[in-house]
Amino acid sequence: MTAEAPAQPTITIDGRVVPFLPGDTIMKAAEKAALDGTIPRFCYHPGLPVAGTCRMCTVEVEKAPKLMTSCSTPCTDGMIVHTQSDKVKKSREGVMEFLLANHPLDCPVCDQAGECSLQNYNYEYGPRTSEFQEQKRTWSKSTTKKLSDKLTLNMNRCIHCERCVRFTDDVTKTHELTMLNRGWKKELVSAEDLGVVSEYQGNIADICPVGAITFNDFRFQKRVWFLKPRPTLCDGCSKGCAVWADEEKDTIYRYRARRNDEVNGHWICDSGRVSFHTYENPNRIVEPLLKVNNHLIATNWETLAPSFVKELQRAARIILVIGTDATLEEMKEILTLKSLVRNAVFDVRFYNGTSGVHTSADDKAIDDVLRRLDQTSNTKGAESLGLTPLSQNGQGSASSAYDLAIYFRGGRAGIPLKLATKEFGWGVFSKDEVQRFDGVLPGLATVEKSGSYINAAGNTQKFVAAVKAKGSSASVTRILEGLFVVARREADLGVN
Amino acid sequence: MTIVVARHEKISDRFYLVALAQGLVVTMKQMLRSLFGKGIVTIEYPEKRREYSQRFRGAHFISVDSKKTENCTACYLCQTVCPADCITIVAGERDAATSEYGVKKEKRPLSFDIDALRCCFCGFCEEACPKDAIKLSRSYEMATLTREEAQYDLKFLVREVKDRG
Ligand code: SF4
Ligand code: SF4
Ligand code: SF4
Ligand code: SF4
Ligand code: FES
Repeated sequence: MTAEAPAQPTITIDGRVVPFLPGDTIMKAAEKAALDGTIPRFCYHPGLPVAGTCRMCTVEVEKAPKLMTSCSTPCTDGMIVHTQSDKVKKSREGVMEFLLANHPLDCPVCDQAGECSLQNYNYEYGPRTSEFQEQKRTWSKSTTKKLSDKLTLNMNRCIHCERCVRFTDDVTKTHELTMLNRGWKKELVSAEDLGVVSEYQGNIADICPVGAITFNDFRFQKRVWFLKPRPTLCDGCSKGCAVWADEEKDTIYRYRARRNDEVNGHWICDSGRVSFHTYENPNRIVEPLLKVNNHLIATNWETLAPSFVKELQRAARIILVIGTDATLEEMKEILTLKSLVRNAVFDVRFYNGTSGVHTSADDKAIDDVLRRLDQTSNTKGAESLGLTPLSQNGQGSASSAYDLAIYFRGGRAGIPLKLATKEFGWGVFSKDEVQRFDGVLPGLATVEKSGSYINAAGNTQKFVAAVKAKGSSASVTRILEGLFVVARREADLGVN
Repeated sequence: MTIVVARHEKISDRFYLVALAQGLVVTMKQMLRSLFGKGIVTIEYPEKRREYSQRFRGAHFISVDSKKTENCTACYLCQTVCPADCITIVAGERDAATSEYGVKKEKRPLSFDIDALRCCFCGFCEEACPKDAIKLSRSYEMATLTREEAQYDLKFLVREVKDRG
């Protein structure tokens, strides 16, 4: 230790010296040193206040008479902590045995299996046998109880860690969940008959360490061990929350919150959580469409590209409307479309389409947790490129009668009212949205592309593709390349 | 890399007629035995059928309860363990309010498909199943005229199989 600067206080965890900040608990210090993998926990969650009730996290502290709960014991300088001593292991085994005394053998039908703390810790620390021979406690009325249309409770599996209760108390402050009675009869109930009402219920299923609370949208959809988590961003609003897209064979089955302390902490909202359905939608347009005899028919790029280029070169007044859900890169790239146009007026506008949101100035937080009014992900990005917004109501300015309108969007921005005699959609659309168009160029959704968004706070967030593109949908780069090739070929033919 | 292994053959080994004669003796012995003696190894199939052991692994079936509902709870353990990757399950929910089982059996297979052409009859699925639902029967007559018929669906799998067939 040097004499000059006051040395940072340290504790020793399993022989490793770890610095801590005053006020840190042993768990926090271990977390910062990435040693927390050695400390099992049920009630502790880094995003919630400490409860210290489950006793799973106990560690041996030298000179302390008893084992200490690492989640709630503050560090003191020079503390020596053992996380794997025999005493600790015995305690963990005891906690596990008590938790399992009443726990059902539901793993085969329990959605948590594979990512269940109880299961994992039992492998690592649990006793292999049980002394418990009595009837297990079951909750006849809350074995499968809908807490709301989004959550299902199976009280038999609850281990009373109260993470869910603390979540509703401290994060959403909606206080819907509470524990009734004590001991053997302690039961999780929703405080009112309404059930859980907040817009952040999915997080409860995320943080419930067991399969007691499950999210209905994912219920029974997939066993989790088939899924691969891919980091991506939620594009459901201008907040830009970090999520894990859990996919198998390029199909996304769920979103989970991904920790990002600068943006969303540990949470995401429910509409964001199910927003991947926009891309998994069976009605999504994933093949090029072209209108023939007033019917949109599926075609291929080889057919669509020449007719699209022809429209571009025939029109005298063109408007390109860029949805505020496109990535910065796409926005920049698609502007090069102008070079395909011959002496025509080529207007570029951005369009948000969320009711009440025209530019980022109209965007505001709609609650105290995460959600924002702007339902697109990159309004700030469009503005940073110096694009002008389309007029308020989604109509072109009065003077402008366009021959050709191109609506480019990533699936979330609105589609303006009819702006031109010929209209093309480019990007992510569903079947019912495109009926009035003359053609559709299927593009990529957030989960299928790499790029960056600027969120409401002005942070530029980069992301990479999580899954492969569906059908024939292609990136802006590839589509533009194709269009340029076609245009060049036609120009050559024209000259010869 | 090629590894050269020297073989040391005796003269008699190289003179193949001896071995040929030995082989013929074995063949004739077997032929005469099955023509006149005991130890006939073939049967007159299909009039006669061979009794295989209880542990024989043939066409799959899914056991049912007394109400003819499949015992499978769509836990996907068989699909997970299957080395041939030939089981495809889609899980669904029985409405606990209207189902006669209540919350028991709430998770169930909406569809359960086995590609018998890919199956290697290892029996791992049977072993993995916590519900004793999927089983391999003793039925070995699995030849089909089309590939489609070898795709076993739930309807086929819950057929009645007495005593493992
Ligand atoms: S909560 Fe965990 S241990 Fe309990 S049944 Fe579900 S997977 Fe198994
Ligand atoms: S439902 Fe889950 S989160 Fe809530 S107390 Fe029970 S185990 Fe903990
Ligand atoms: S017998 Fe083996 S290969 Fe066939 S379905 Fe079962 S696990 Fe798969
Ligand atoms: S292992 Fe058994 S219960 Fe599970 S899905 Fe397969 S057949 Fe059904
Ligand atoms: S995690 Fe520390 S007591 Fe539960």
